[in-house]
Amino acid sequence: MKRALPILTVLLIIVAVWYAAAVRMNAPWAYDQAARADQAAPSLMDLPGLTLDQDRPVLPSPHQVIAELARSTFGLAPSSKKSLIYHAWVTISGTLLGFAMGTTLGVLLAVGIVYSRSMEMSVLPWAIASQMVPIIALAPMLAVVMNAVGATPLMTKAVISAYLSFFPVVVGMVKGLRSPEVMQLDLLQTYAAPGRAVFWKLRLPSSMPYFFASVKVGIAASLVGAIVAELNQQAGLGARLLQGSYYGQTTQIWAALFLSAILAAVLVMLAGRIEGRVLKRMGMAR
Amino acid sequence: MTLLLWILLDPRMWWLLAFWAGAWLLNAELAKKRAPWVRYVVPLVFGATVLVLWQVGVTAYGVNKIILPPPSDVLTRMSNSGPTLWADLVQTFFKGALSGYAIGCATAVVTAIAIDRSPFLQAGLLPVGNFVAALPIVGIAPILVMWFGFDWQSKAAVVVVMVFFPVLVNTIAGLAASDTMQRDLMATYSANYWQTLFKLRLPAAMPFIFNGLKIATTLALIGAIVAEFFGSPIVGMGFRIVAEVGRSNPDMVWAEIAVAALAGSAFYGLVALIEKRVTFWHPSQRN
Amino acid sequence: MKKLLTAALFTAMATTAQAADDVTLQLKWVTQGQFAGYYVAAAKGYYEAEGLNVTILPGGPDVAPTQVIAGGGADVVIDWMPSALAAREKGLALVNIAQPFKSSGMMLTCLKESGVATPADFADKTLGVWFGGNEYPFLNWMNKLGLKTDGSAGGVTVLKQGFNVDPLLQKQAACISTMTYNEYWQVIDAGVKPEDLVTFKYEDEGVATLEDGLYVMEDKLKDPAFEDKMVRFVRASMKGWKYAEANGDEAAQIVIDNDATGAQTIEDQKRMVAEIGKLTAGSNGALDEADYKRTVAALMSGGSDPVITKEPVGAWTHAVTDKALQ
Repeated sequence: MKRALPILTVLLIIVAVWYAAAVRMNAPWAYDQAARADQAAPSLMDLPGLTLDQDRPVLPSPHQVIAELARSTFGLAPSSKKSLIYHAWVTISGTLLGFAMGTTLGVLLAVGIVYSRSMEMSVLPWAIASQMVPIIALAPMLAVVMNAVGATPLMTKAVISAYLSFFPVVVGMVKGLRSPEVMQLDLLQTYAAPGRAVFWKLRLPSSMPYFFASVKVGIAASLVGAIVAELNQQAGLGARLLQGSYYGQTTQIWAALFLSAILAAVLVMLAGRIEGRVLKRMGMAR
Repeated sequence: MTLLLWILLDPRMWWLLAFWAGAWLLNAELAKKRAPWVRYVVPLVFGATVLVLWQVGVTAYGVNKIILPPPSDVLTRMSNSGPTLWADLVQTFFKGALSGYAIGCATAVVTAIAIDRSPFLQAGLLPVGNFVAALPIVGIAPILVMWFGFDWQSKAAVVVVMVFFPVLVNTIAGLAASDTMQRDLMATYSANYWQTLFKLRLPAAMPFIFNGLKIATTLALIGAIVAEFFGSPIVGMGFRIVAEVGRSNPDMVWAEIAVAALAGSAFYGLVALIEKRVTFWHPSQRN
Repeated sequence: MKKLLTAALFTAMATTAQAADDVTLQLKWVTQGQFAGYYVAAAKGYYEAEGLNVTILPGGPDVAPTQVIAGGGADVVIDWMPSALAAREKGLALVNIAQPFKSSGMMLTCLKESGVATPADFADKTLGVWFGGNEYPFLNWMNKLGLKTDGSAGGVTVLKQGFNVDPLLQKQAACISTMTYNEYWQVIDAGVKPEDLVTFKYEDEGVATLEDGLYVMEDKLKDPAFEDKMVRFVRASMKGWKYAEANGDEAAQIVIDNDATGAQTIEDQKRMVAEIGKLTAGSNGALDEADYKRTVAALMSGGSDPVITKEPVGAWTHAVTDKALQ
């Protein structure tokens, strides 16, 4: 309870501010509608009733968002195309596949960077520059190219996710693979350990804390990548966000948005749990 | 399998592979040298190799220009469309991204200092902040465009939202970074809270704050461009990319992307340079 | 025994299906009533009867049909003529093989309270346009009215509107681009009454250009087998369109059944199909050369920034529709 109290307090304040903001931001529409119907402008007491349940609110009220979220997740069969659970599943599959690809690529690149000076000097600056290129601008063109070679939408999504998640993994793993102390490296040298033993028995295990820190950043980045890719597709939370935007269904947008954030939080939490277990078994628990 | 063989046996592929191998060997040799200019030449060689492979590959294989234009087309377009590219850069980068960056980072630092005195607020705000940071920007952007209008203000708003949390987290970590011994020393000088803050804790927090600022530079540019996809006046990098994709002008799209990458790298480099000056005392700057 | 027979039956059906020719169609936008004819043709078996196995690919905001066909992702695409002619001039040899849409559905819808009553009132107002290939007719019209679009005084400020009608509802623009079959009704659905709106139809203003048409790559069309496939495709598609014109509600239901996103509602689609029927009426699929010439003239008269600079040659053909409509 002690840990929950601060969070609950902050949440309560936010919800209160949200309701006030909803009334304020939806008010112009309420006034306009009254003017168009040649009625008197609504009084301040009437406003909450007129602003907190609009069909196309500028800012949906918290209960509207929760109702829409509940309706689209629990109120519909998961196999229905209107169900957020179905769309969330589509997004997660892309995220996880892309994350696996990106992490593998990231680890391989990091190993190359640590062991080869020419790779370090040539690849690392470009890896940094690659993150400056707005992938969201490349996504449509990438989709066209991938469709032309017959890739599935899942694969396109996975490539974009991998693009966004490989960089944190590269940076983290490079730092991690270089983290063993000089003393530890010297010790292995006194054992006449061959290069691969140094890698598997020292460098790789020492890099685990950095690896998991990057994994947590990378999985969130993968999710964003999958959603960006879905903006051009037919299913998934990104597609859902865009549809809500087309038809002006702000509650749909917010419901999909919240679900994506919840997904991201769950994925990061899962990664954190796995990290705890692995590090504990390796004796590196913090 | 036959397709793979057919690709590998193609003489054009031999040329490309040979060129790549040659450049790789060149880089490997250069990397062995210790001269300072090597650090700049090696990535340039790598980049130049990619460009050459791209140019030759696209031309030799006759790839349709609408799918992937050769770098020569992109460069021609960049030199021809200077004024348009500059106008787009001003709209997106200077007006949208930079203003949002300044407001977002300043607000984050101030908020971090404000909640520094209250562990209660910290414990409550950080998890909520985590959640807000996880909201995908592509979802926030249409909402903010609806609230702040079509011009650069909504783009700045999107950037503020994206930049706020990373800088906040890093500043809070930085404020906790000063040693107990150092704080005790300030106490022996009977320094009050504000003096300790400005003379010890903020300078000690600078490495962390700059870490956050560097992360924020990438986010700022991407945020401004993405926000433009959801509504903008007819100028701006995000707008230009969408419009030119629809007009079948991929060379312009790549030109805009190149400008974005250059601007982003320059911005990052500038912040890194300022960091070097401000945190000259930190071990990572002295190695 | 029953299982064996069923299995054998399915295998036989599958084999027959494989003997059919594959055609991939890329739509210009998401699955909606705008493309009812094609979905009806698929659902009612018209494609199957012609020996075609048609895959319909929905589009979206970042899916450019020209890019998809250039990348080999589709055999035939739906696009608007201005965008197709512009792509042709850039080197992508697209050819119009059929024109199911005779009239243009494009409009500019304004709030009466913004003070716009006639096109002369556009000056110094903010107007919304989609871009992504749909801006050509608008830019032509502004040029015809003598209004600059760079936001200077006396001209108009142009807004790149997203794909909803919020700019009008939130009063960020005086007028927005709408289609008779889609966005206009979204504005009405949002609670604005028709008497609060002033609408200008591109057809009435004389600046209409040809919209949804079927386009293929010129070099592919030279292959007689491909041309024959297209002939059968156009024949079945036009049959689908005429059925959709006559049986709007059923067509709307077919569109809903094919919507993978689950976002469309039956009421919206019924209305859309009915409005689309007004646009396809009067066309049997063959391109009317007079309409084509009018579109080209409009595109070339763009002042300092015309959409196309040269008269297109070979941009359309009657070869497919002649054979299809015999």
